[in-house]
Amino acid sequence: MNKLKQWLKTITLYEILVGMKTTLGHLLRYRPITLQYPHEKRMLPENYRGMLALLRYDDGTEKCVGCDLCEAACPSRVIRVVSAEVPGEPTKRYAKEYYMDMTRCLFCGMCVDACPVDALGMTREFEWAVYDKRQLHLNKQQLLAIGDRSFPVREKRLELQHPNTAFFNVAFKHMPQKPA
Amino acid sequence: MSELGLRLTLSLIQIAVVVAIIIVTVLILTLAERKILGWMQDRMGPMEVGPYGILQPFADAIKLFFKEDIVPAGANKLLFTVAPLLALIPAFIGFAVIPWGPDWTLEINGIVYKPFVISDINIGILYILAFASIGAYGIILGGWASNSKYSLLGGLRSAAQVISYELNVGLAIIGVIILAGSLSLVKITNAQSGWFWHWYLFALPVPQIVAFVVYVISAVAETNRVPFDLPEAESELVAGFFTEYSGLRFAFFYLAEYANMILVSCIAAAMFLGGWNAPYPGTILDRLGLPSLAWIEHTMWFAAKTYFFLFLFFWLRATLPRLRYDQLMRFGWKVMLPIALANIVITSIAVYLFPNA
Repeated sequence: MNKLKQWLKTITLYEILVGMKTTLGHLLRYRPITLQYPHEKRMLPENYRGMLALLRYDDGTEKCVGCDLCEAACPSRVIRVVSAEVPGEPTKRYAKEYYMDMTRCLFCGMCVDACPVDALGMTREFEWAVYDKRQLHLNKQQLLAIGDRSFPVREKRLELQHPNTAFFNVAFKHMPQKPA
Repeated sequence: MSELGLRLTLSLIQIAVVVAIIIVTVLILTLAERKILGWMQDRMGPMEVGPYGILQPFADAIKLFFKEDIVPAGANKLLFTVAPLLALIPAFIGFAVIPWGPDWTLEINGIVYKPFVISDINIGILYILAFASIGAYGIILGGWASNSKYSLLGGLRSAAQVISYELNVGLAIIGVIILAGSLSLVKITNAQSGWFWHWYLFALPVPQIVAFVVYVISAVAETNRVPFDLPEAESELVAGFFTEYSGLRFAFFYLAEYANMILVSCIAAAMFLGGWNAPYPGTILDRLGLPSLAWIEHTMWFAAKTYFFLFLFFWLRATLPRLRYDQLMRFGWKVMLPIALANIVITSIAVYLFPNA
């Protein structure tokens, strides 16, 4: 009996008809899941890790103190920092040159975690396709420009923040947060 | 104008109209295939060129015309050039005997002339089958002349497949030919007039439903469409026999594939579904008192039937995965062939027993 049923199904092309019913159903109930990308864009998640950027304080000075910790933290050796003294202020240092080779970056965000002064930020930019790979080798000016356009609201200078945070803000997540 | 000149002019006008219709249909089909396939897979299909992507075929055509024409190193230049033409010309030449509309005759300057069929020869269907076989040469030679292993494999597979399934196409049609008693597509279509149960798909004494199923499956296989697209299996052979082709030659192969689809659909419509006959006797326009416009209704019915088959091609493509090579061969020779032969035997006996049914 079962065999007969199987045979009947074979000669009436039953399985194929079931499949064709499914495809026809999708044609009639047309609900595409396509997103017309350049015209409409996806909602990015809250903690999206996009293009890296260097940040400034609200008075326009660079946050970066040239400590090289981001360079040490980076697993793919994206970052190269050339540190130097601030001219006229022997106690302070800054990044004289700062390079990022974004062709190698894997957007893990470890440099951002490593930065003791929160000088690095991850923007929500992702449309960085270029025709020439060398355009992805960014210098300090370019990184600062990305930071300027992605973070228009800047923080106060480190000396003016809460002393606890200013001193200990290395990697300890349980430390008190900076006042907004 | 001399009689010969007039005949030539009329035929050339007909040919130009038919070729134009086919090329426009191919343009529509390339878009329709991508759209329907997309819709069935919850996608949108082409959307960029023109509103809802309706100008995509023109963009594709312009791109193909202006692409560089590459002949691979070590290719046989002559055959490489001839192969696309060998595929294209047989695909187009078959349309000469397809009746697009009612079997009317006009008389111009004493010349009897049929406006809806280019040439009503009495071996119409045999002529189409003969030229369809030549089309296989285009594919095989194109695969061999490219000097590429993928093309060669595609060509070999295509040779085996087309020969196997052409046999089934021919045998499936024989039932209808026995019933109609003629090889001329015009006569076969005329014999199916009246209600839709006079179509050979349902006609007494032997409804040709089995032959119809065999014909549709074999036709899909013969035109190298999914699920029988082994000659151009893109996941195994890049693009099969036209891997090395580019530009206009590639366009010729593409055009030939789609023209073959249209031809096969036209034959199915003409032989099994009554061709240009409406499913009811006569035409509505005729009843409304417009007998001179009845041909519009007839041609529309023919187009509707043809487009149903073309839709079926896309529908199958969206549904079924590709067969394995041994499955293809076993199915062709061990399943389709005996069924088609049995159908011929049964039809013959039935026609002998009930000659006037």
